[in-house]
Formats: sequence, structure tokens, C-alpha cells
Amino acid sequence: MEHSPMTASAPKGIVLNIQHFSTHDGPGMRTTVFLKGCSLRCKWCSNPESIHPKPELAYNLSKCIGKDQCGFCRKECPESAIFNVDSDVKVRINWDLCTNCGKCVAVCPPQALYLFGQEMIVDEVLDEVEQDSSFYRESGGGITLSGGECLLQADFAAGLLAGAHERGINTAIETAFNVPWSHLEKVLPHVDVVLHDHKLTIPERHKKWTGVDNTRILENIKRAYETFPEKTFVARTPLIPGVNDDEEHIRAVLAFIRPYKNVIDCELLPYMRFGESKYGFLGRVYEMRDFNPPTPESLARLRAIIEEAFGRSGQPADVGGTRL
Amino acid sequence: MTTPTKRIAINLCGGYVPGLNTVLTGVVLAANELGWQVVGIRDGFDGLLGPDRYSEGGLFKITLRGVDNLSTGGGAILGNAAGTDPFRVRQVNADNQVQEVDRSGDLIAKINAEKIDAVISVVGPRALSILFKLHRQGLRTVCVPTSVENDVAATHLALGFNSALSFAVDMIERVRQAAQSARKIGVVEVLGEHAGWLALQASIAVCADAVLIPEIPYDLRKVATKFREKIEARRTSGLVVVAEGAVPQDEQQSQTEAVAPKSLKASLSPGATSHRGSHAIEGSGRAAQAVALQLQRLTDQLTYPLVLGPLVRGGPPTAVDRQLGLGYGAAAVRALNENQSGVMVAFQPPELRFVPLAEAINKVRTVPVNSVFVQIARSLGIALGD
Repeated sequence: MEHSPMTASAPKGIVLNIQHFSTHDGPGMRTTVFLKGCSLRCKWCSNPESIHPKPELAYNLSKCIGKDQCGFCRKECPESAIFNVDSDVKVRINWDLCTNCGKCVAVCPPQALYLFGQEMIVDEVLDEVEQDSSFYRESGGGITLSGGECLLQADFAAGLLAGAHERGINTAIETAFNVPWSHLEKVLPHVDVVLHDHKLTIPERHKKWTGVDNTRILENIKRAYETFPEKTFVARTPLIPGVNDDEEHIRAVLAFIRPYKNVIDCELLPYMRFGESKYGFLGRVYEMRDFNPPTPESLARLRAIIEEAFGRSGQPADVGGTRL
Repeated sequence: MTTPTKRIAINLCGGYVPGLNTVLTGVVLAANELGWQVVGIRDGFDGLLGPDRYSEGGLFKITLRGVDNLSTGGGAILGNAAGTDPFRVRQVNADNQVQEVDRSGDLIAKINAEKIDAVISVVGPRALSILFKLHRQGLRTVCVPTSVENDVAATHLALGFNSALSFAVDMIERVRQAAQSARKIGVVEVLGEHAGWLALQASIAVCADAVLIPEIPYDLRKVATKFREKIEARRTSGLVVVAEGAVPQDEQQSQTEAVAPKSLKASLSPGATSHRGSHAIEGSGRAAQAVALQLQRLTDQLTYPLVLGPLVRGGPPTAVDRQLGLGYGAAAVRALNENQSGVMVAFQPPELRFVPLAEAINKVRTVPVNSVFVQIARSLGIALGD
């Protein structure tokens, strides 16, 4: 395969995962590339392993075969961050001492210890993505960059998307837009579809639930709509019951996006507790244990408001599946 | 031998436990005897890392008069911050991005700039590791252990445990009375993810019918058999104390959804506490619910679950914890005067000793299965589920 020098010399990035056959990350059947690092700390985050910008240690205790039969990790750890509780043969991690060096991962036979994220170059990623190209042609799919916040690794993201275009692959990104404009300027020219979040409307509430207020985010969104009128945008709200699953928020999002003809839809992503177990594997605490997914009734009600605003009738599209 | 130490700081880096003010008093009184000055850092290390958040500054001088009538009844005038971690301070940078930043170097520079010679930190199991790291970076420190679960290694008694135990006993006695009048089996859950001291010692103090602790995996059928012997027309109630980390011998035995996923629960290290310093296992009460439901099925007797959980963290210290707090505070000053650093004050009867932090971290003080308390429980006919 021949690729332009630009792609070949594009920088390295930290990739969390390459997920094949995604149906909820843009039009058609897609391959989603999750990049590490995030600039928000949403309490409902279902990908906590994507937040840290570098590879990060995780530990699944149920797979550990115990210090009596194994125990290599304890000997290998240069920080003495692995230890045992007297009442249990399975090891424990002192997350305050762990530096994510990954030396324990190499000696863990049952792979109870593993690293989330690895360094990859553009062509490595694209070669894997391109294996699914026949599915893209059939379904109108392509590559989607997700995260984390994929725009934090702007050079890498731009390299991936430009390379994908060279290979004739449709491109999409999932972003929260909380990055400097210079990152957007670099990446957006190579994007066909932009799926972006509208998490909360009120700045103070946005700050409470995600770590920062949304002033900068809204500025970026607006500027992107206006600077790239030829791109397709889809606004998305992760619907968190009791936090933002109210009509007021949805109507505010609609009022924000409807003046722009290049924003073709507003999607609702119902809150799920997918990420809960991963918090444990990373030694973190999940603060949303008592939150339940939104009810079908509240989803239907909010989706009806969106359908009405877009002047559509009949059965709305599947939640999460982009209408194109 | 005297040292150049003249100005020391004290801070509270653990969760709230009864008796924190007594440590402060002990430190100030002992420092005063040596002619040293004491300053308090607010909210763990937050007072130094973000002094602008405090109207009167994050650092304040504590005089003898300041602790003269200091309430030992409860509360902590310094403010405590269990989540304090100078190595991972969450902040928003100039690009509006949330980041966790290592500010340990910054912190030590500020401590030096304030001409603080050493810091006495009142810590829980997690903060021990953080102070160990700070000590490795050059901070002179002496730690005072606190834990309502008494799970800090190298010390027989962590501050707060005795008060928590007394309160738990008081509450469990009330549960017994309620259980008797309602003719049910009361199932009380207490803190103890890895270590069952609180459950075990409380159950002995109230002569419970059964106690389930993390160190001894239980078989509820055996507990139920015990109950069948005890429960009759004239005695229609029972009392079970369960530590939140107690696990069944056979995972299949508890098929109820109320049980927290074992893999998740167990994969959290003892160091993994939430920002508020509350226990890593959020949504406490699952152990009590699971045991109550299963026991009801096995004994055909009505049961009801009750969770003491973090309630035991509140309230005033007992006489034991008052003495311990004052003693620990005074001993921490003595350690500094003896030019010790990077140590934890430990009660190893009959002595108060100084243990290197490296020997106290990465350990959990669990109940040995042949410990005297287990033997006492067995002698009293308290079922342990094994």
C-alpha cells in the first residue's frame, strides 16, 4: 500500500481501543478508534479508562491466581505497590504508589493486570481500520474517532482522519468540544460528520457535573457550525435521569442548533451503567451507583419534542443511530 | 538531644473519626513544653495548596489558649480532607481542561517557605501511603493513625476505633430490643471491608448469636442450624452482626441481586476511598440485605437488615480515644524531638512506639483466625458461620 508522506510521518498517539462494527457512533457500520485523555470529568463517564492521557494499569481481581501459585507481580513492581491482605491470596494494588509503569503486566500469566492504552502510529491504526472497508461500503460507514476527547491528540487525530480520507474511508468524530480552537482548526477539515455533546445548558450545573462550565464549549460549537458550513453536525445529549432529562434542556439544545442547517439531528444517549465495573478495576469509586437509566416513557417524550422541532413525523430513528 | 525543630504544622488527612481534636491538643501541649510553635493546615493539605480559598488563609497559628477549652466532644476545628492527594490535584488549566496535577514539589516548597520544620499528619490507611511518598521527597513527617475499623497495620489501636465500637455496641443493643419485641432476627451491618474487628468485638460485647467477618468466609446454613437450636417459643428473636466485607464460602449461596458484584468489591484496594473519605464500597447495606434474606429463607423466621455504616464515625470520643489522641499527639512531638521522621506513632502495649511508614503501608491489620477474640466468640457460643 502506498500512502502520502504526510500520513507516514504523522505522529504517534495513545490509543485505548479499536472497536469494530460499531452501530451507534455515526452513520452505517463503523470502526471506532478510542483515543486516550479527556479534558472533562463527567461523573457518569462510562469510559473511565479513557480519562488518563497515558497508558494506565487496571486490575481484575477475579482473574488473579494468587500469591501462592504465582506472585510474580509483587517481585516485579519497583514501587512496592502490590501487596497482599492476610486473609486473601489474591494481590491488591496500592494505587497511590503505582506509577503505571506496566512491569507487572508482562509477568501476569492470567492477565489479571493489564494496561489500558498503547502507543500506536497512524498507519498501524489505519491498517486495522481498513480491514473493515467492505462493511463501510455496504453500510455507508467509516472510521469514528472517540475517546476520551479525541481532539486532545489533535495532530494524531488529524493524521488519522486525513489518512482515512486518502484510503477513501468516511470519517466522523465524537467530541465534547472542550479544546482550544486551534485543535478544531487542525482536525475538522478532515471530518465528514461531527457528533458533539450538549451535556447541560446552565454553566454552573455543567461545571458541577463535568468539572468545567460550558462557555468555551458553546463558543466552539457555534464557531464550528459557522466556520464549516459544509460539514454535517449531530448534537447529542447523554441523558442522565434527574440531571438533564428535562424538556427545558432539550428545548434549549434545539434552540441552539436549529438556526444552523448543517446540524441535521439531535440524538439522545440514554445513561447506562456500562462503566461501573471498570471503575473498580482502576481503583476508583463510581459515584453514580444509584442512578438508573431513563424510562422508555421519558425517552419517548423527549424524542417526540426533537422530532417535532425537526419537522419529522412517524417513528423516530433508533436512539444513538445517526440518521443520514 | 534537641533538634533545630521550632515550628511544626499539624493537619488531618484522614476521614472524620471521633477524637481528632484531642490529637491537636496533645500536639500543642507537648510542643509548648518544648517552646515550639504550632500551626494548623486547613483541610489536609488544601490550606497550603489553595490558600486563596480561605478567607483567613489556609494556615493558622494554634496557641495554648486556642486548645485550652477545645471541645473534645466532637468535630475537628482544623477541617479534615480524606481525599487530599498532593500528587493528583484536580484543577482546570488555562486551556479549560480538567487535569490531575502533581503538586507535591510545590507543596514541599510552600512548607519550607512557611518555615515549617515538620508536619504531624493525622491519617487513615490511604493517607499513610501519600505521606510516605511525601517523606521520600524530603518532607519531615510523623503520622498518627486513625481508623474506625482498626485496620492500620503495626498499631494495636488506631484512633477512633474504640469510640466507633462503643457506639456500635450501644446501637446493636437497641436493635436487640427492637428484634425481641418484633420477634425477628436483627441483622446489623457494620464497617469492615477487609478487617472484622468492629463486627467481632461488638458482637462479643452484646453476646450476639452470630458474627460474620471478612476473615472467615461464612456458610449461612451453619448459622441457621445454630438458630434452630436457639429459637423456640420462649426465645423468638435473634441478633446477627455482619461486617460489610463478609463473604459467603460458596458464592452460589447468595444469588440475590442485592449482593454487590464480588469482583468489583474485592478489586478495590484498601487504599481506594472516595473523595469524601467515605468507604470504598458505596451503597453500604448490601451485606446485611443479602444475609437477612438468605437467613429468612433458611430459618423461616422473619429477619430485618439494618446498617450502621458511617454513623459510627460521628459523635464524641470515648475515654480510651481521648487518652489515645492526647497520647498520640504528645508522642508525635516527642518523635520529632528525637529527630525521627517518616514514622507513624503506634500503640504496641504497653509502649507507644515509632514505626517506619514503610512498615505500616501496604498492609491491612486483619483478625487472625485463631485470635483471642475469635476464641472468646466461640466460647460464648457466637456462630461464626464456619
